[in-house]
Amino acid sequence: MTKTLIPRRQFLQGCSAAIAAMAGAKLTNLAFAKQDNPSDTLVVVFLRGGWDALNVVPPLAGDDRGFYELARPNLKISDPLRLNDQFGLHPAMSPLYDLYQSGKVGVVHAVGLDFDTRSHFDAQEYIELGTPGSKSTASGWITRHLQSTGISSILPVLSTAGQPTSLLNFTPTVSLNTPEDFSLWDNGLRDSHMNALRQLYAGDSLLHRAGTRTLDALNIVSPLSGGGYTPSNGATYNDDEFGLQMKTVAQMIKLEAGLRIATVDFGGWDTHEYENDGNGGYIATLLGQLASGLANFYLDLDSGHTEKLSVVVVSEFGRRLVQNESYGTDHGHGSVMFALGGSVNGGQVFGNWPGLDNEQLYDHADLAVTTDYRQVLGELLSKRMNNSDIEAVFPGFSGNYNPLGVFK
Amino acid sequence: MQTNRFTRRDFLKLGGTLAATSVLAACAPDDATPPTVVSQQGVPTNPIVTTEAQTPLPPVPMATLALNRLTFGIRPGDVEAFNALGATDDERLQNFVALQLTPDSIDDSEFENRYNNAGFETLHKSLEQLYADHIANNPYNSNDNSYWDWYSKPAHELADATALRAAYSEKQLVELLADFWHNHFNVYFWQDDGVPLLVSYNRDALRAHMLGNFRQMLEAVAKHPSMLYYLNQNNSSDAGPNENYARELFELHTLGAENYLGVRDPNTVQKDADGVAIGYVDNDVYEAARCLTGWRIDDNIGGWEEGVGISGNFLYYKPWHDRFNKIVLGRYIPADQEDLKDGHDVLDLLANHPGTARFIARKLCRRFISDVPPESIVQAVTNTFYENRAAPDQLKRVMETILLSAEFKASWGGKVKRPFEAVISMVRALNSDSNRIPGGIHWMLGLMGQAIFERRSPDGYPDVREAWANSMSLLYRWNFAVGLTENWMNDDDTGFKIASDVYGQTPAEIRSASALADYWIQRILNQPLAEAGRNAIMTVMAQDYGPEEALPDDHVRYVLPAMVEVILMSPEFQWR
Repeated sequence: MTKTLIPRRQFLQGCSAAIAAMAGAKLTNLAFAKQDNPSDTLVVVFLRGGWDALNVVPPLAGDDRGFYELARPNLKISDPLRLNDQFGLHPAMSPLYDLYQSGKVGVVHAVGLDFDTRSHFDAQEYIELGTPGSKSTASGWITRHLQSTGISSILPVLSTAGQPTSLLNFTPTVSLNTPEDFSLWDNGLRDSHMNALRQLYAGDSLLHRAGTRTLDALNIVSPLSGGGYTPSNGATYNDDEFGLQMKTVAQMIKLEAGLRIATVDFGGWDTHEYENDGNGGYIATLLGQLASGLANFYLDLDSGHTEKLSVVVVSEFGRRLVQNESYGTDHGHGSVMFALGGSVNGGQVFGNWPGLDNEQLYDHADLAVTTDYRQVLGELLSKRMNNSDIEAVFPGFSGNYNPLGVFK
Repeated sequence: MQTNRFTRRDFLKLGGTLAATSVLAACAPDDATPPTVVSQQGVPTNPIVTTEAQTPLPPVPMATLALNRLTFGIRPGDVEAFNALGATDDERLQNFVALQLTPDSIDDSEFENRYNNAGFETLHKSLEQLYADHIANNPYNSNDNSYWDWYSKPAHELADATALRAAYSEKQLVELLADFWHNHFNVYFWQDDGVPLLVSYNRDALRAHMLGNFRQMLEAVAKHPSMLYYLNQNNSSDAGPNENYARELFELHTLGAENYLGVRDPNTVQKDADGVAIGYVDNDVYEAARCLTGWRIDDNIGGWEEGVGISGNFLYYKPWHDRFNKIVLGRYIPADQEDLKDGHDVLDLLANHPGTARFIARKLCRRFISDVPPESIVQAVTNTFYENRAAPDQLKRVMETILLSAEFKASWGGKVKRPFEAVISMVRALNSDSNRIPGGIHWMLGLMGQAIFERRSPDGYPDVREAWANSMSLLYRWNFAVGLTENWMNDDDTGFKIASDVYGQTPAEIRSASALADYWIQRILNQPLAEAGRNAIMTVMAQDYGPEEALPDDHVRYVLPAMVEVILMSPEFQWR
């Protein structure tokens, strides 16, 4: 037995990379069979904080443009990219513009939670539980989807940030930041540790199950932990948190271990002040990271993986039509969702636009919600995820289900 | 539009208690129970928890429960010291709690030595000094890294000192409370404009009041530049109030989401016997935001604002204050009140509201008893909080109610350590030696999802196991067990070190795998393990030897750390 001592510098860089490099593992050494997915891989990107839908997809023309400009003298987007005659796209989202034009990106406007709340935490929980108005639901909407379709794969669900509420009570979830970080440090007796941990975590509690799941995931992911991942098609992810998360998801999809669903969190959208300075500023940075991450993700997977790929981008609400005095916007209501993938009927803006005249606003203040977010997710489940039991996933909603045609 | 109807939400939120409230309101005014707002049935569990509120575990000695719950983990000698505090478990717990709730009486010289040797340069500075030295007069060029190093130095030192206190201070309950209250009134480390001021916020607004009075703490927080910057109150004027702080003041700091009735006409909300609304609606947030306009910081860095200096202190700026009348929670607030009174009225209404008593009580019980605390103790703590709302030691009495309760004594299995608690408890279990926590520990806490003071959103880190039973959180506490025990954590660049010596702490006469396992299981967990668990640990120690065989010294030196690591990794070490 020789004990592997890790030089401090490597430790600071992330010990695990050094260890795994020594193992020399390759993808082809995976100890499990490749699995064909019976459905799409769904990636749910949740923008925490309530993104400013009216500046992401601003009105271009007509009375609504006038209301918009009047309400936002310092925040209005003056040179949006053109989505159609009615709507534009924030210029910082330009990395997604080609994909919109080629029909891979669809937009749903005035969409959201049809429930009276302007609380971040209420709204996020209602959306993720899939039961607006009730927090006593014991599982998240993704959990119920997976339960109603059954799970057979090795790595069905990945979360790049802990366990979101949408996966409440779904124990096979694996959370990891990057594969490079995902290994058990080796003091020379790692096999002994793994064996002992198997026995110690062989129990029924939430903690025991989480431990067992982590040990399973170590076996699956460890071959990737040596690093050196080269994205396909020259995709170059930004070195920001969102870019790294999307890179991780792409790697996991390419593992072909049956990944059905990945959840990605992206925070910082609560733009109460200094949201925008002309077309630059704070929100432009976030939108640039978002669009770049999504575009590179698509490019990276456009090597045989996009036909069975659906990405949805959702936030808990939009923001007030009128800017506040600190050049920001306060909590609002109606929002905008994006869908990306080979499965999307892209190049269109979906939804029933309610208008921005005072009488058309929710509570005389915010963009109204004319499309329940569950219409979009329900359609996704039904058309792309082999799940027609919308009632099981969104109890009480199926009577209102009326798909917009966002997905093929 | 949708603002006047009595919705499904009201039913869910208020359940059957509208009727119950009326009955209570008719009771004698000196009834100990505050008029209750929220039903016990169907209370929104915020944050959401699943059905596994408390894992059924074999009972443990009182010392194990109390020390895991009221400290950051058991150090060698702690159990003996606890047991010496009395003849019965109740007596010991009572004396331990009494001691911990009078922190000034505790000898903390060991910690103070470490603290004095840590090399902290900024933690003694007042709010004004921090502002002057690190913001207004930062001597470096803002294009250089040195500028930002100097700017963030106080907050980094605070994070290091927080870990050091948690690991070594004898005033352990104080440290747990500081952690609780910083998360309750969360301010993010990297909030935009006032990073250096976090030192003052933690010390002057939170620690100064956490065994004192909630109303006073609420005002200290409301007026502290850290909070004023973080939730944008600093920019809120009558021309267009910024609602960020006002909303979280209701939702996170006082009444809680459980008392939020949504977007609707405030006139439709029921009032209690004092005419105060039993819950809040959006309109209350807007009106409170108006009351608080002009609450800002004396930070005229640009030099163009008349009547504003550059001290970094709280400033009531009358030109920004909305002078007209408002209605908050049904209470009329007349125009042109004296300076600050509008805001003080809002804080009074909130701090003295029975809904706040219940929200804070439940949250403290969640912290100290169980993810889903029994309603009996939530009610008792609500009563203590409410009855003592004017007392200078209100929060100390609240803690006594929690910690001496029957529910506390029966709560083993109610909590799982969060990453910060797991990490610090390992340092304590091994009696590891450090005067300054190496940076690698912060890095690992980040990978586990709980870097110190780095919760970005204002709700603070979650306090239920569902949020932490994920693979990264577990994997990196396992990795920390390895890194700490093997002495891989030292940071040569900064000179910050942490040293562990499990071989040196093992009596020389204990040399079989079986005996070593039993010794270290007892030492770290202070409870026996089931046979399967004990065998798994012993097998690591034995490797190819028999369980009772005397092990050669080089084998012990080499393998003992690995066995101790497994004990630290075990599920039993994660309970608290």
